[in-house]
Amino acid sequence: MSSSNPQRNPVVDTPEQIERRRIVEQFLLFQESLPKVNALSYQWLLNEMVPMSMAVENNLSQLDENSSVSSQSVEPTSDEINEEIHKLSLNKLEYVPSHKLIAQLCHASDEVKEKVTERLYKIGSGIGSKMTELLIFSNNPNLSFNSMDTLGMVRFICKEVWKLLYGKQIDNLKTNHRGVFYLFDYEFQPIQNFALDDDEEKLLSTVSPYIQVPLGVISGILTSLGVPEDDILVSFTYVDIPEDKKKPVGQFPKGLNFNIQVNQFQNNQD
Amino acid sequence: MNTTTGTSKTASAANTTSLASSKTIKQIGETVWKNRTVKINAELFTLTYGSIVSQLCQDYQRDFKKVNDQLFSMGYNIGIRLIEDFLARTAIPRCDNFVTTSEVISKCAFKIFLNITPHVTNWSNTKNSFSLIFDENPLSDFVELPMDASKELWYSNILCGVLKGALEMVQLDCEVYFVSDVLRGNTQTELRVKLNKVLKDEMPAGED
Repeated sequence: MSSSNPQRNPVVDTPEQIERRRIVEQFLLFQESLPKVNALSYQWLLNEMVPMSMAVENNLSQLDENSSVSSQSVEPTSDEINEEIHKLSLNKLEYVPSHKLIAQLCHASDEVKEKVTERLYKIGSGIGSKMTELLIFSNNPNLSFNSMDTLGMVRFICKEVWKLLYGKQIDNLKTNHRGVFYLFDYEFQPIQNFALDDDEEKLLSTVSPYIQVPLGVISGILTSLGVPEDDILVSFTYVDIPEDKKKPVGQFPKGLNFNIQVNQFQNNQD
Repeated sequence: MNTTTGTSKTASAANTTSLASSKTIKQIGETVWKNRTVKINAELFTLTYGSIVSQLCQDYQRDFKKVNDQLFSMGYNIGIRLIEDFLARTAIPRCDNFVTTSEVISKCAFKIFLNITPHVTNWSNTKNSFSLIFDENPLSDFVELPMDASKELWYSNILCGVLKGALEMVQLDCEVYFVSDVLRGNTQTELRVKLNKVLKDEMPAGED
């Protein structure tokens, strides 16, 4: 970029460059040395959140029912029996296998869907805000949080956050420089293994809840970097995968477009 | 919904050699962890699990018994699928006895999935129940429980669910529960596994 570049011998590095490379290498070595767990375990944990969230919804509505029933028909004959009922109905949550929970969620009313979605979003934003801390204290020499503007934050999400969470960066970032950002991920990792036979529409609607967690993560990161929560709007749409990103087998049929809207940006512009 | 993990169910069936010593078991665990495992930052794992638990505490309005139950069934759902991946990855044959099972759990399963090796100890006289002592636990690193939670919440209860589910899928009907947890102020984290019975009727045809 600078005008002095062409005059300098390209083979010999300046002391600053050598020093910088040393710092980067040291950082990478340090990252390598940190404790690790199996990525599969993490994957299971991430994906199991969705059926779990539905199970919580079921259990909560059941608890509501139980408490209203028991308040109507309490017979003060024997405390023991009451206690027994209490134990049976309230303290033991019913176990439902995850594939059934996902099916339930798929056919649930909009109200239930919304609650489940919100729960996943909240977990996601919890993850997001803690991830910011993790990344700030990682001493990454490529990152500077001083004077980071909204675009910088979104770039940070595309690169560092996505890499840490999903092992790959966002494929493409588009912005109108007015607070609207489109993040394209054509191979969003947690959903790559999902498939339903010959029913793409159903597949897409079934998979939708899984995308709530990353949406929450995005909002959590932005919030923890100082953007007021009310100014952030995140959503997603399915997009077609461009030809050059297509794989012959084992790929989810659609890519994802994460849409971030930051309102405050427009006010700060001038 | 299908989740295809790209693994084969039959990989372990072909391998009929017995697990000679606990050293072999340890080696299998370490080799798989070293060479055939994609790894991620453990802190990320910790904070993700933390977000889940804190959301559950909020949803159940700090009724920690329900949170324990929910974590358990979440784990169970993971366990019943995890075992298939585990068997395919390690090609470990059927365990002859519960002692071998305990070794496989500690040195293989925990090594491969969480990169830890809890101690197996406190065997009952009849050799049908043992304890796992966790010196480290990636689920609860840096975690501190608030006062009200530290009496009732089993923070890492998902592990019990995973073990229960996984063992049930290999015909071992077990009770799995935490006895103590450093997060509660106990001196060690102890998880108890108690074998109820070996299930007979669910043997898939042609496996014998």
